[in-house]
Amino acid sequence: MAAIPSSVVKYVRTLWMSEMVITYLFVNSDGNLQEWGGHPRYYGLSNLTAGQPVTEQIFFLEGLLPANHTEVLQFMNMGGSTAHVHILPCHHGTWILLLDATVEHERQQQIQQQVNELSLLNYRQTQLLNQIEEARQGLLEEKQHLEEIIEVKSRLIASLSHELRTPLSSIIGYTDLLDKAKQEDEKTTNYLTTVKNNASYLLGLIDNILDQARLEAGKVELQPSHCDVKQLLNDLKALFFPAAQDKKLELEFTLQRNIPSKIMVDSLRLRQILINLVSNGIKFTQVGQIKLELAWEKDKLIFLVQDTGPGISPEAQEKVFIPFHREAETKHIQGTGLGLTISYQLVNLMGGELKVVESSPSGTTFSGFVVAPEVYHQGIVALTQEGNIIPQISVDAKILVVDDNSVIRMLTEIYLKTGGYTVITACSGEEGIEIAIKEQPNLVLMDLLMPDMDGYIAVQRLREQQFIEPIIALSASNFDSDYEYALNVGCNGYLTKPVDATKLLEKVALILKG
Amino acid sequence: MLQKKICMIGDFAVGKTSLVARFVTEGFSDKYMTTVGVKIDTKIVTLTGGQEVKLILWDIAGNDALTTAATSYLRGAAGYLLVVDGTRRPTWESALQLQKAVMAAIGEKPFIFLLNKSDLSEQWEITKSMVNEQLAQGHTIIHTSAKMGKGVEQAFEELAEKMLVS
Repeated sequence: MAAIPSSVVKYVRTLWMSEMVITYLFVNSDGNLQEWGGHPRYYGLSNLTAGQPVTEQIFFLEGLLPANHTEVLQFMNMGGSTAHVHILPCHHGTWILLLDATVEHERQQQIQQQVNELSLLNYRQTQLLNQIEEARQGLLEEKQHLEEIIEVKSRLIASLSHELRTPLSSIIGYTDLLDKAKQEDEKTTNYLTTVKNNASYLLGLIDNILDQARLEAGKVELQPSHCDVKQLLNDLKALFFPAAQDKKLELEFTLQRNIPSKIMVDSLRLRQILINLVSNGIKFTQVGQIKLELAWEKDKLIFLVQDTGPGISPEAQEKVFIPFHREAETKHIQGTGLGLTISYQLVNLMGGELKVVESSPSGTTFSGFVVAPEVYHQGIVALTQEGNIIPQISVDAKILVVDDNSVIRMLTEIYLKTGGYTVITACSGEEGIEIAIKEQPNLVLMDLLMPDMDGYIAVQRLREQQFIEPIIALSASNFDSDYEYALNVGCNGYLTKPVDATKLLEKVALILKG
Repeated sequence: MLQKKICMIGDFAVGKTSLVARFVTEGFSDKYMTTVGVKIDTKIVTLTGGQEVKLILWDIAGNDALTTAATSYLRGAAGYLLVVDGTRRPTWESALQLQKAVMAAIGEKPFIFLLNKSDLSEQWEITKSMVNEQLAQGHTIIHTSAKMGKGVEQAFEELAEKMLVS
């Protein structure tokens, strides 16, 4: 291979130095600039003077000289172009080489810019997510706090309700007994009717307040069972007939033909909703009629309640389902403003909706639906549905009534005796256990809330002592949790106070029948 | 004239370049431009005793750890400013690590912690206890805002004073 001519080598060297914009400087061992070449101005180095201290002319060299080993400072920007600076120590001083890195610097700068911006974005995003999480936690704590408050409120109302229900149950019970005593005196009958009506009203009021508290606390659990809609409608007709007659209002209750004979729904709650809507219609209507229409479509029971009352203004329609809300012009009419709220919440709970579909000075129409699938198979329905239980009175049965309240104890005793039962009583949990073990009654009616030993413990002890006869719990509480707990400790049935004679005798008969 | 080399140390995007720009040209740009390598600037300051010093400012590319390349940039530094973005707590942790690494590389030199972006107080993530811990060790901390110009001259001048007495 032929040797490369020196002219070509020189050409290549010049080309390379030009491409790299190479600049060189030599600094002697005294730190003075001795010579230089290449393109110092390209890097912003001008007015260089030989024999003068280099750090006074080239600032970036401050502190870097003398160097004791080769050093490379990458991407040095001195205000002009960017260079890789090579510092090469030798015997008599230091060589400094500057190689252009402007293009590479720009490329690296773009890459690094993207990396850093992405990193900053990620950081801010993480911070935001943390803030959202903190806010979520805060809201969660606030929610828990509110739930606790609602729970306390609900308990307070339940306990108040219990306190009110107990005396009321004796008022209603004794009024019933006096009524049945067939007073000839018309005045006395009227007085009794008034006492009974007002006590019933009070009881309804307490139930409404309690229901509202339980709905607010989310403690209402539905108990769907087989419901005979035709029977329900007949019951409602019978219930409202006297009130409608008093006000000379026409009642029109219709049932669409395609309604299944049995549907699966919480019939007590359905009944409560319809009672609230129809009684509201009767309450506010002075002349005309109240219509209730029931229809069924695709697993939904659709209802429509129409009255010919004075109507609800558009502003009032927005507030009609708010608790305790009452329009000024209706304040003279008895009520708490809870009926529609409870109905609305119950309908929602039952997977449906309730709304005012139309209202004008000539009347109002409420419409809604609840989820109620058709029942295809009938099994033990006959035992659970309303009105189908025929009490089978076993006059030989001996029943023990355990209640600390002497009035209730006596009332229950009277009811049971009218059913032909033999009744023995106990006034405390301890006494109840003693008598039950000794007398072995066929059934025990056990009050749950008693001082010293409550009914739950008494039932538990009885079951521990192998008492196998049925026990029915009597309680003023209609909380689902209390009901379940009573069954768990060994009760076979549960009755909510105040208990009327029919309900009591039905339940007793049902339990005794096994 | 006396010349002193100062290095700007700290994580990326803490505002080192902006602090130098504010100090040298009294300018500020909201647009973030990352530094690659090192950028050299100079400024003459007159100290309290009337002495003039030319500060050679090495604005070194931000990193949360000291790379080999960055160590070369530190040689000959008479002091350094450790810059923290007060709105990003991790940059404080980086500054503490970097301080130890710089000391290992060039020995004990005067330095000051700068808590930059102090104008963004609503996003502030550096607590008083974190600051107090460093103050208790005799370190100097200055709150700066390159955007508002707050504490910037004070930071460079205070470091220059420290470098002269050390």
